[in-house]
Amino acid sequence: MAEAEVLAHEVEAVIRRDFLKILTAATGAIGVAALAWPFIDALNPDADEQAIAHKIVNVGGIAENTAIAVTWNGLPIYIRKLTTKQIADNQFVVPSTLPDPANYADRVKPGYESFVVVIGLNTGTPCELLGNDPADARGPFDGWTCPCDGSVYDPLGRVRSGPATKNLEIPRFTFLDDTQIQLG
Amino acid sequence: MSTNITKTWARTRLPFLVTLRGYFLAPVLAPDAPYLGTLPTLITAALVFMTVSGFVLGIYYNPAHGFASLQFIDRTVNNGWLIHAFHKTGTTMIFGAVYLSLFRAMYTRAYRGVADFVWVLGVVQFILLLLVGYLGYLMANGAVSFWSLSGVTQEAQTFSGLPGAISNWFFGGPAGPGTLARLAVFHTVLALAIFGIVALHNAASRAAAPAPAPGSKAVSFYPYYAAQYFVAFVIFALIFAVLVFFAPHLGENQLNLGPANPLVVPAVTTPPWYLLPITDVSHAFPGAWGGVIGVLGRLAVLLALPWLDRSKPTAHGGGVYRFLVIVLALDVVLLGLVAAAGPSLVTSILAVLLTLYYFLHFLVLTPLVTALEAK
Repeated sequence: MAEAEVLAHEVEAVIRRDFLKILTAATGAIGVAALAWPFIDALNPDADEQAIAHKIVNVGGIAENTAIAVTWNGLPIYIRKLTTKQIADNQFVVPSTLPDPANYADRVKPGYESFVVVIGLNTGTPCELLGNDPADARGPFDGWTCPCDGSVYDPLGRVRSGPATKNLEIPRFTFLDDTQIQLG
Repeated sequence: MSTNITKTWARTRLPFLVTLRGYFLAPVLAPDAPYLGTLPTLITAALVFMTVSGFVLGIYYNPAHGFASLQFIDRTVNNGWLIHAFHKTGTTMIFGAVYLSLFRAMYTRAYRGVADFVWVLGVVQFILLLLVGYLGYLMANGAVSFWSLSGVTQEAQTFSGLPGAISNWFFGGPAGPGTLARLAVFHTVLALAIFGIVALHNAASRAAAPAPAPGSKAVSFYPYYAAQYFVAFVIFALIFAVLVFFAPHLGENQLNLGPANPLVVPAVTTPPWYLLPITDVSHAFPGAWGGVIGVLGRLAVLLALPWLDRSKPTAHGGGVYRFLVIVLALDVVLLGLVAAAGPSLVTSILAVLLTLYYFLHFLVLTPLVTALEAK
C-alpha cells in the first residue's frame, strides 16, 4: 500500500511537471507571437498608403458622352457617363452574340446605370484606349478603340472585335452618393 | 521512430548541426557559474533583436532625409514608434551589459593566461559596438548628431597625409546626404560583422574556460544552465521592456530630437550616454591629434591589458588591484559625467586629471601593483 502511494505521488509529480512545461512553452509562444506581430505589421501599408488605395473621385462634373481618366493604384481608370442613345443601343444586346458575354447590368452599378467605370487598358496588347473625348476614334459602337492593335469596345467596355478577347476590367468601387465614387 | 529518421537525415546531410547541438547543449560545466556569466549570451540575443528592428528601420530610413524619415517612421509607419524605441533602447541595454561585462572581466582578472585572446576579442567587439552606435547616432541627423558629424569631418580635413586621406575616404567629404547614405551602409555591415566576433569570442572563451575540477559535481548545460539563462533572459527582457515603454529617450541629448540646422549650434552637444566615457568633449589633449589620442588611446590601453598585468595567471588574491579596478570604474563614470556637463574651466581641468588617471591606472599602477603581487 505504501509503495503504491509513493508511485501515485511520483506519477502526479510527473504530470504536474509536464503541465508546467507545456504552460511555460505555451506562454512563451504567445509572447513571441505578440512580439513578432508589430514587426510583421510594420511592413504592411501604412494609413497614408491605404488612404491612397481608397481614392474618392467626384463624378458630378462629367458631361454626358465623355469620360474622365484618373489614376488609381498605378492604373488608368476611365469613368464615362453614357447618353440615353448609348444606353438604348446596348441595353438589349444578347450576351451570347458577344466575344466575352456580359449583360448591361453586369457592367454598371444598380441605381447608377449611366456611369461606366473601367480600367482603361486594352485587354489584348496593353495600351491606353482612345474614346474618352467624343472627338477621339471611338469605333463603330461609339465606345473605345485601341490605337495599338485595333480592338473595338462598346461604351460599356465590352469587347466587340479583337484581337482582344476579354471585356475591360472593372475596378473595385462603390458609389458614396450621386456625385462621388470611392475606388478600392 | 520518426525522430530517428529526422536525426539520421540531418546527421548525414549536415553533420555540422549535430556538432552545434553538442556544442550548446551537452557541455559539462562547473556547478556554481554566476548569473553575470550569462551577459555575453544576453548581448548576443539583444544583437539579434537589433538586427530584426534594424531591418524594419532600414526599409523606411532615407539618408537623403535622415531626420524626416525617422519622423515618418515614428508617426506614420505601423508600429514604427515602437520599433524605433526598441532599436534605441536596445543600444542602451547592449552597452549596459557590455560595460558591466568589461568591469567584471577586469575585476575577476578573466584576461590572464590563455584567456588573453578572449579579452582582446571582447575589446574588439566593444570598439565595433562603439563605432556602430556612433554611426547610428549620426544617422538620426538631429540637431546634435549633425554637429558631431560636421565636427568630425572638419577635423578629418585638418589632417594631412594618410590619416586625413583615410578619414576623407570614410566620410566621403563634408557632412551631407551622401555621407549619411554611406554611414547607413557602414552601420549595417559593421553591425552584422559583430556576429562574427561574437562567434570567435564564444569559441575562444570555451577553449579558455578551466575544466571542472576532478571530483566536483559538474553539471550539463541542459537543463540546469538552460534554466539559469532563461531566468537571466527574463530579467533582461523585463528591464528592456520597462525602458522601452517608460524611458525611450534614456541617456540621449534631448536637443537631438530637433532637426539638424547648419546655421545653429545647439547649446548642449553631448552624445548619447554610452559614448560619454570615450568622448573628448573638453579636449583633455590639445589639437586634432590630441582628440584622436584621447579617444583611441583609451581603447588601446584596454586592448593591452592582458600584457600590462604582470601577475601569474593562476595567482589568487590581489585585493589592492581589485580596489584599483573599482577606482578606475569610478574614474570612467566621472569622465562620462564631465563630458555630459560640457566644456567649462572646471570640467576641462577635471577632464585632464581624470584622463591622466585613466592612463596612469593602465600604464603605471597595473604593472606596478601586479608585479609587487607576484613577489
